[in-house]
Amino acid sequence: MGFLRKVVAACLIVAATLHGAAADEADLRLLVAKFAAAKNFQATEAVVRELGATGDPAVEKLLTALSQGGLYVRKGDDAVFVGDETGQDVQLRDPLNGAPAGVAAKADLSKVKVNNALRRVIRDALGGLTLGSKDPAVRLAAADTMFRNPDPAAIAALDTAIAGEDVTSVKTRLEQARAAAVLLSDLGEADKMTAIDTLSARADQDALSQLTRFHTSAQGALRDAAGAAVALIHQRLALWQVAQNVWYGISLGSVLLLAAIGLAITFGVMGVINMAHGEMVMLGAYTTFVVQQAIRALAPNLFDWSLAVALPMAFLVAGAVGLAIERGIIRFLYGRPLETLLATWGVSLILQQAVRTIFGPTNQEVGTPPWMSGSLQLGQLAITWNRLCIVVFCLAVFALLLWVMKRTRWGLQMRAVTQNRRMAASMGIRTPWVDALTFALGSGIAGIAGVALSQIDNVSPNFGQGYIIDSFMVVVFGGVGNLWGTFVGAMSLGILNKFLEPYAGAVLGKIIVLVLIILFIQKRPRGLFALKGRAVEA
Amino acid sequence: MTGRFFAGSATSRIAITIAVLLAIAVIVPILNIAVPTGSALHVPNYVVGLVGKYLCYALLALALDLVWGYCGILSLGHGAFFALGGYAMGMYLMRQIGDRGVYGNPLLPDFMVFLNWKELPWFWSGFDQFWFAALMVMAVPGLLAFAFGWFAFRSRVTGVYLSIITQAMTYALMLAFFRNDMGFGGNNGLTDFKDILGFNIQANTTRSGLFAATATALAFGVFVTWCIVGSKYGKLLMAVRDAESRTRFLGWRAENVKLFAFTVSAVMAGIAGALYVPQVGIINPGEFDPANSIEVVVWAAVGGRGTIVGPIIGAVLVNAGKSWFTGALPEFWLFALGGLFIAVTLFLPSGIVGTWDRWQPARPARGTAKVDVVPERIVAPAESSGAHPMAGAKPQPQPAE
Amino acid sequence: MSRANTILYLDGVSVSFDGFRAINNLSLVLDKGEMRAIIGPNGAGKTTMMDIVTGKMRPDAGEVYFDGDVDLTRHDEADIAMMGIGRKFQKPTVFESHTLEDNLLLSLKGPRSILPALFHRRSTAETSRIDEIFGLIRLGDRRRDLAASLSHGQKQWLEIGMLLAQDPKLLLVDEPVAGMTDAETEETVRLLKDIAQTHSVIVVEHDMHFVRELGVKVTCLHEGKVLSEGTLDFVSADERVVEVYLGR
Repeated sequence: MGFLRKVVAACLIVAATLHGAAADEADLRLLVAKFAAAKNFQATEAVVRELGATGDPAVEKLLTALSQGGLYVRKGDDAVFVGDETGQDVQLRDPLNGAPAGVAAKADLSKVKVNNALRRVIRDALGGLTLGSKDPAVRLAAADTMFRNPDPAAIAALDTAIAGEDVTSVKTRLEQARAAAVLLSDLGEADKMTAIDTLSARADQDALSQLTRFHTSAQGALRDAAGAAVALIHQRLALWQVAQNVWYGISLGSVLLLAAIGLAITFGVMGVINMAHGEMVMLGAYTTFVVQQAIRALAPNLFDWSLAVALPMAFLVAGAVGLAIERGIIRFLYGRPLETLLATWGVSLILQQAVRTIFGPTNQEVGTPPWMSGSLQLGQLAITWNRLCIVVFCLAVFALLLWVMKRTRWGLQMRAVTQNRRMAASMGIRTPWVDALTFALGSGIAGIAGVALSQIDNVSPNFGQGYIIDSFMVVVFGGVGNLWGTFVGAMSLGILNKFLEPYAGAVLGKIIVLVLIILFIQKRPRGLFALKGRAVEA
Repeated sequence: MTGRFFAGSATSRIAITIAVLLAIAVIVPILNIAVPTGSALHVPNYVVGLVGKYLCYALLALALDLVWGYCGILSLGHGAFFALGGYAMGMYLMRQIGDRGVYGNPLLPDFMVFLNWKELPWFWSGFDQFWFAALMVMAVPGLLAFAFGWFAFRSRVTGVYLSIITQAMTYALMLAFFRNDMGFGGNNGLTDFKDILGFNIQANTTRSGLFAATATALAFGVFVTWCIVGSKYGKLLMAVRDAESRTRFLGWRAENVKLFAFTVSAVMAGIAGALYVPQVGIINPGEFDPANSIEVVVWAAVGGRGTIVGPIIGAVLVNAGKSWFTGALPEFWLFALGGLFIAVTLFLPSGIVGTWDRWQPARPARGTAKVDVVPERIVAPAESSGAHPMAGAKPQPQPAE
Repeated sequence: MSRANTILYLDGVSVSFDGFRAINNLSLVLDKGEMRAIIGPNGAGKTTMMDIVTGKMRPDAGEVYFDGDVDLTRHDEADIAMMGIGRKFQKPTVFESHTLEDNLLLSLKGPRSILPALFHRRSTAETSRIDEIFGLIRLGDRRRDLAASLSHGQKQWLEIGMLLAQDPKLLLVDEPVAGMTDAETEETVRLLKDIAQTHSVIVVEHDMHFVRELGVKVTCLHEGKVLSEGTLDFVSADERVVEVYLGR
């Protein structure tokens, strides 16, 4: 390893000092030609190191090809080429500039052999080459490679790189890479103390392993300092872990909330057990699919807006289907919740099969607009944009629903009808229409949820089935008839689930949550936030 | 006989059912084994297998009828008891394979060898004995139902809440049985059975024997259910269904009443599952699917709940329909099933048998009392049941309490 | 107050739900063998008081004793029913899909566990007791009909009959004459007076004519506590009662 470090360091020094300047091409060709003479892995390794030491970006392609087994020596003249195999022939290209150099039969060539140890050397050499790149992202990656493979011999190179670096984030990484190297060097205590501080400020898993390794070998004050830093990082990491779990929990919670929120209206407010609720979510997802197909065909440049178009469409489609279900079936079954359950289950079977017949049983590809992909790094917290969007969207839907229920005339009528139907009717409220529209609203919101969930789940005819039991659990757990209960229920179940997962695994975690809910319902049959009603007689 | 079957009182109807079941338990195996293949009277093997399966489903539907029809507990988790009984039987059959498995391990079933397990988990011990497996077929579903019911009924979880948590129960079990490290074969379940009680499970004599056992078990199930619902306890069961709090204020412990029926029903479902597994040759976690349990409900609903005979008719009819559809029009089966759910709840709320009874001219009240079911009563949430001048009024939604 | 000779003893009972005090420091004593009528406007806490006595609801504070020394707050509905408190609901609640006879059979005093019920055979003693009750409630000719076929008033009687079959020491009768014709009301008065000879009874009723017919001590509840107590004449002369009923 010592030798390897020196080689890498050497190439770094070259890379840093030359900074983009190319080595003499003729010298490079001489080096490349040495592959022909290399008869074993060690010899090949030596050539790789020499090439790496040139720091010339031109050798990048060649080294990459070598690590993939694409470097050939022509048996006739010992010339070295990069080649692509096509059947019995190999397309040859110049190893440095990539210019085509004819075709040769496989039998006339010998491949430069690589093994895993050699591949590692190549990778490191490539890492070193890139420290001098013009692209800050490449330099950042190089700094990270250096950090993970610290080498005291590279300190000088890093110093130069730090001095010449003007991008703050890259500079920080370079300093951290240097600190890691310092810990392994024979520099003085003061330098190492500073290095420990630098690493402990980084406070991630990598810094932890560097410091832990140092801690086992260090003496005296340095050992204490390293121990303290390790403890500190452990603590920090634990906190980040908690934060990460909370975030995952909130993310799962908002998925649950989105799926359950429509149910909170149909089941919670109206008392209708809609087993086809999951299929309303599915219809929303398929609406998204259809909208995207149409946009791809008609106006591809509007694709970024496809979700915005899909939202109202999904609301209308699912809402209309909901309206039809209410008018066609459910209104005849009011007051008979168990029969409603069975009839709506039948509806859900029909809807599933209808979608399967129209779109086929396979998963449909729903695209994600570019602005929703990628992720955001917050300290040690990785937050993907699509999850963040779903959380925000879910909160928005929830707020909107609260507003409709509490502030609009329609919401007032809904609440009046559920509290005292006869009185509401005699006040001139058309209760059958309020029922129908309330049900349509709940279904429409399920459709909207489908648009959001299509971004994170496979859109298939069984799409809704995965959500129905969870949704019922959320509504019942939170307390039926209470929107805030549903909110708290969804979030606490999401977070609980994510905290159990590391210990129990995803499936067992889910089972535990289900069992806990079942036990909870035994304890509080009316959920978390149930209102204690006046005792009803009989 | 059909005429008498429908026209007669509930008692003679049930007696006829038992007689028919016992008769086919004898006749079908004879027609299958003793009558030569070419004869018009020969019952082919596949028919024996298919009808045997239907009769298992009928027993399951009957089990559900005891709790749903007579006690108003709509269990959406009866498939779980069925599957547990099936797994207990499957474990026995797995142990019977012995060293004839692919890996030839005399002690461990193939999937355990595959998972690199070294010894048999403790809960597999004893299953090499038939009597133990038979005991577990009844004990495991019974104990689960008892424990579940103990908590649920004691804390007065009723109506749809109970339905939803029974569904969650079977869902949780499904997830659990899908896990490889549960020790029940994970995804693939238990299969490749070789023999049962020393008889080759593939042989048509064994299959006829299993058929006879199933028909007899169903006949026995009908008899037991009939005795239960005809007793004072059975009257109490219906009283709890119709007016739970009235029974409480009369001094009855409604939770115990329900618990007994629920446990008996789970045991019946477990037996049905145990008879089912050797006939179909496999048991896997898919049996726990909540959708299966709901399908059982529609069998009972189609035939007429609270009639004992209805669920049996319903189970056989719906499954015969399913067999026909999956052969002739596979993509329409779910449309048909979904439509059936809707049609039955809207137009035939008391099922085939219940509707038939309604059309009959008034009969002596005592006879009707046992079987006649007022749908509104059954499904009304227990807390607000009792007489309510809703009859005749247009149904209207009530917020869940 | 001594609990010695009381059948029901409530002292300082309070209960509230949803921030609403349904019963507020209620004290009420019923002597053995006494019949008492309880009146009061809607929301006075009459039904809630019955819920507390029959174990359906636990009071937040206060003492509830039955038969002098049984603390009812420690028992549930079935226990309390077995001790000898019968309750008739405001809404008549009978087992509609059973015959009248079966309704009474299920109510008869006797063991209340599952196995005896499963293997039960009706004894001659039970049959004669059922006949006796049918004589009292005068529904003997309908004994084989389904309870669902009874009129509202007849269901009230059947329910009272079920209470009698239970042979309780104390009967709580909630609005027994609601929805009855005058003739039926007369019948009910006679029935309750009969019952009161051998049982302690609490009757909750709005119908003043009926209460007058009963001719017993009256307690008027208002906002969860006792407003006035005494003969009907005394209570109806009480200004506060008049105020509560007629408004100010």
